[in-house]
Amino acid sequence: MNESVILLSIVSAVGIGTPILLAGLGEMYTEHSGVMNLGIEGMMLGGGVVGFWVSTQHTSLPLALAVGAAVGALFALVHAFLAVTLRVNQIVSGLALVITGTGFAAFIGSLNDSALTYERPLSSFEPVFGEGMRDLPLVGPLVFGHDWVVYLSWVLVAASAFWLFRTRWGLSLRAVGEDPAAADTVGISVTATRYIYTMVGGAGAGLGGTYLIAGIFSNYQHGITAGLGWIAFALVIFAGWRPWRALAAAYIFGVLRNLGFSLQIIGVDIPADFLNALPFVLTIAALILISARSSAARKYSAPSALAVPYSRESR
Amino acid sequence: MNLAVGAREIVVERRPLPPLWVRAAAPTFSVFFGLVIGAVIIWAAGQDPVLAYTEMVKKGFLGRLPLIGTLVIATPLILTGLAALVAFRMKIWNIGAEGQLIMGAVASAGMGLWIGDGVGGPVGIVIMLAAGAAAGALWAALAALPRAYFNTDEVISTLMLNFVALNIMNYLIFSSISYWRDAERVTFPSGRGISEILFLPRLSGRLHIGLFIAVAAAAVLWWALRYTRWGFEVQVTGDSPRAARYAGMGVDRKILSVLMVSGALAGLAGGIEVGGVLHSLDPRALSLGVGFAGIVVAALARLSPFGVVPVAVFVASITNAGPGLQSIGVSSEVVLMLEGILFLCIVAGEWFLRNTIRVQPAAGSPAARPA
Amino acid sequence: MPLDRAGAAGAAAQIDRSDGRLGGEAARLTSITKSFYGQAANEDVDFDLRWGEIHALLGENGAGKSTLCSVLAGLYHPDSGEIRLDGEQVELRSPHHALEQGVGMVYQHFRLVERFTVAENLALGHPDTKVLASRKELERQVAELGRRYGLEAAPEAGVWQLSVGEQQRVEILKLLHRGVRILILDEPTAVLTPQEARSLFATMRALADEGRAIIFVSHKLDEVMEVSDRVSVLRDGRMVGSMEIAEADPARLARMMVGRDLAVPDRPRIEAGAPVLSITGLTAAGDRGIEAVRNVDIEVRASQIVGVAGVAGNGQRELAEAIAGLRRIEHGQIFLGGVDITRASPRQRIRLGLGFVPEDRMRTGMAGGLPLPANLALKAYRRPPLSRGPLLSKRAMDDRARRLEHRFDIRGVRWGLPTSLLSGGNIQRAILARELSAGPKVLVAAAPTRGLDVAAIQAIRRLLLEEREAGTAILMISEDLEEIMELSDEIVVLYEGRIMGRLEPGQASPEVLGMLMAGRTVDPA
Repeated sequence: MNESVILLSIVSAVGIGTPILLAGLGEMYTEHSGVMNLGIEGMMLGGGVVGFWVSTQHTSLPLALAVGAAVGALFALVHAFLAVTLRVNQIVSGLALVITGTGFAAFIGSLNDSALTYERPLSSFEPVFGEGMRDLPLVGPLVFGHDWVVYLSWVLVAASAFWLFRTRWGLSLRAVGEDPAAADTVGISVTATRYIYTMVGGAGAGLGGTYLIAGIFSNYQHGITAGLGWIAFALVIFAGWRPWRALAAAYIFGVLRNLGFSLQIIGVDIPADFLNALPFVLTIAALILISARSSAARKYSAPSALAVPYSRESR
Repeated sequence: MNLAVGAREIVVERRPLPPLWVRAAAPTFSVFFGLVIGAVIIWAAGQDPVLAYTEMVKKGFLGRLPLIGTLVIATPLILTGLAALVAFRMKIWNIGAEGQLIMGAVASAGMGLWIGDGVGGPVGIVIMLAAGAAAGALWAALAALPRAYFNTDEVISTLMLNFVALNIMNYLIFSSISYWRDAERVTFPSGRGISEILFLPRLSGRLHIGLFIAVAAAAVLWWALRYTRWGFEVQVTGDSPRAARYAGMGVDRKILSVLMVSGALAGLAGGIEVGGVLHSLDPRALSLGVGFAGIVVAALARLSPFGVVPVAVFVASITNAGPGLQSIGVSSEVVLMLEGILFLCIVAGEWFLRNTIRVQPAAGSPAARPA
Repeated sequence: MPLDRAGAAGAAAQIDRSDGRLGGEAARLTSITKSFYGQAANEDVDFDLRWGEIHALLGENGAGKSTLCSVLAGLYHPDSGEIRLDGEQVELRSPHHALEQGVGMVYQHFRLVERFTVAENLALGHPDTKVLASRKELERQVAELGRRYGLEAAPEAGVWQLSVGEQQRVEILKLLHRGVRILILDEPTAVLTPQEARSLFATMRALADEGRAIIFVSHKLDEVMEVSDRVSVLRDGRMVGSMEIAEADPARLARMMVGRDLAVPDRPRIEAGAPVLSITGLTAAGDRGIEAVRNVDIEVRASQIVGVAGVAGNGQRELAEAIAGLRRIEHGQIFLGGVDITRASPRQRIRLGLGFVPEDRMRTGMAGGLPLPANLALKAYRRPPLSRGPLLSKRAMDDRARRLEHRFDIRGVRWGLPTSLLSGGNIQRAILARELSAGPKVLVAAAPTRGLDVAAIQAIRRLLLEEREAGTAILMISEDLEEIMELSDEIVVLYEGRIMGRLEPGQASPEVLGMLMAGRTVDPA
């Protein structure tokens, strides 16, 4: 009994962890290019609500996800223009983006309630694998029990780890975030790189938002992300800017979000609020560890030029 | 930054001192531009932008009730704007006003409940609000100390602490029978009310003296930055930490004190919300988002304490107009989006203050060479 | 990544000694002018470079060496003038564009990504780096490349783990890997130990022998004489002359660099008083952790100006900061008026009567964004009448500012506007006004007239001389030999953090000073 409850909470953690993971992966790209985008929550909502609307109209989840990602990227483009070209303070710009995206989602969501509900559940959210495999003990629910977006997120994690740390493009990207002057001298366009990857970050947030609204909740309510965008921001730091660690961290954060409920069922009373606060506490702890600068932590600290605008003349 | 277009190039230059007309024109044009973008979205959604804007002015400003509503919303926003401002003056990025406000509300409500009817009138109110300010300062210190000792990035730590505070508040009301919770209401959890003698005195309708406190805080901050040694040291450290060290000022201690003052202002905002509006710790009604909005307000006010007041009132008037729009068939949520768009546009418009653009013959082109 | 092609081989084939182009023209810059904010850093400069030579570019600080190199490296776009590479006129749009044309520069601040490995830095942005380059493969190629050029650096090592000398080698290797044929080294020895410099010179020679052209920027005469084939001297943004090294001798070069015969002016003779500032065995580390000030002894008496001469980067800034309390002192002691201030805070030193004019006026000497009264109060604000308890008196600050503005003839003040809008000369007057009005016992003045116009220079020097007459002990650090000789009662020359020599102004000539500053000992004949 106890085991099954815990197993269940882990499985549902994969559900809630997936939007965090998708948004966090996107932000990871953005930050590796030296841009900090605090606007994840706004981009998730803005992209998510449009993606969700598409899914109700066309019942095509891939299309919905694509549109959600595109809208998220458009929001991020605004941030890129402000942060990279106009060299505006990235904190102010990012927070303004949160407000805009939240308001935009609320506005769209309020227009026509009936347009934002399903007449029937989306078939594309059915589990990928057949019942035989899903019923396998332990690995069944853990590995084979998910819908295809979860598997897509795993593929994206692997691809990101490879892209960032094993390819020429990843090398260029990280160089822009570490030392833009060095990248500039060897012919890598700092501006183009930062624009592109800021938009990649927005796309990740839009993807996560769409999955959250269309896939998990199947309806839109004001403030439906409930801080998941901020958790995604924390995730990047907690994961030390590494994709595989982000995967693990996203599920840890997901478990924490559901664990209180599960524990209550088995009679252990840890308030959910404490568990909800834990991701943020853990991130602060990780941050202090990194800044206390043990040599191992050096590897997992922020890109050196994060949130610093670049211009060639001012060396 | 040069951009060559044929034989001409567009040269962008920084300027230290924008002329007066630019300082006035840039935000005006930005607001106009933002309203146009907003109008396009409203129009695209099938609603009437002109009607929406006229109604917003009416519901935000015109008449006694709209004005009172606007000022009540502006009160905490002025304080969180000041909180952001004082930290930004020293190039310290406190984006934890949200959490500091919450902890201020928790402490003020706790103190108010504890006082009960014991200490009446002004003294009780002062004690209650002081508790809020102190809690905000201490919550900020949680980020300030690692910054001073380990140089831990305060942007992230203050941000993270917001959500820790939020969950603490939720726990006190929703997940436990705490001192703050009204034990009699089980199905619909809410906070225990403080004694009526601790309510902030009302001026007119819902308008309470919190507005005066907020404006007074702006004045005090303006004065402190200008006329005290502390303010002088903050200004110098913010402008050039090296010059501050050169002049023998303790930079670390200044970081600590500025972050705590910043937290105290945000905490005071929480206390005033409890004493003036909510009269209990109420997570549902506590105006969340005010901490983040305060940061943008401070930026729009160009870090001037007195600038924060009108900017906060302007933003609050948009917020306040929201519910009223329903009656004319425009979604009330439009105001939040419009605020965001205006923020983005005005922040972008500030660029024109610091830069000039001119077109000249391209360097290296025949025209630029001496004959 | 076929190194045999991408490396120097392809390029080297074109410039092989045997094809007769060795000694041919590699680059020619004609009447280059480049101004910053209306001030010319290069004026009508001509410069030519041949294949296979090491061409030294010699000059004082601010002579325009770095500007000229940056023009050739594509970082700056000249206001006018022409650049020819290999006889062909080119327009260099960016450092990367220059790199594609075979021109590469090793900047004083290396363009290496610290968190990357050596191999990653070499692969970064390289056209032949494969999209899916395996780490092993990259490292193998880099090791091979290093062996070829005798620039061995562990390819798997992180740049942050390398010494400065090793980082420099990686930077050179990176440029060679890109097929650079013209290599510019901006003050490469400034950060090296003598042994590292030796090995760099060997590398430079080997590269030149392969047919590459090398520009070597330096202000050290010894090095220039030792390593270069030709030398060009810049002064005040203009080209003073070029010659084969065989025609050059240190004394002549020193005179060309300094450019004027220096006369010792008449100064009122004052009997120096008791020692006020005594520094013994002072050792302090530089920003990179290497000792920048080594075992320095200096004594300054009341009514005496001791001039510290030397080329920038030889420990002057660190010396001044150590005295002011802004830099940790490793060994040695400092006494001010008999009080040991070795461990005192900057604030305590100010209270004991130490005045300091820092070389970085805009950011250290001033909070440039604040108005003048605030900057004039930067040190006195803790005492009446400027403050009482925690309260500041704006009016007293303004009154004081007006008085000082008048007394020190600070011009162009616009009330309420940032101090940074003042001209350099007026900013320096303001700093001196602040420091001198505090009535210091000791004044440390670093580069007090650097970058100022003639009138301002005269005014500042007069102020220093008046202060000396008033009995203050002055330690003046300057790269300007004329200034050193005009003002000092005693001259010490700093070279690589050590005192290279002590002279009376009467004994000093530009040649002697120039050679001491360049690290040559001089017989006291």
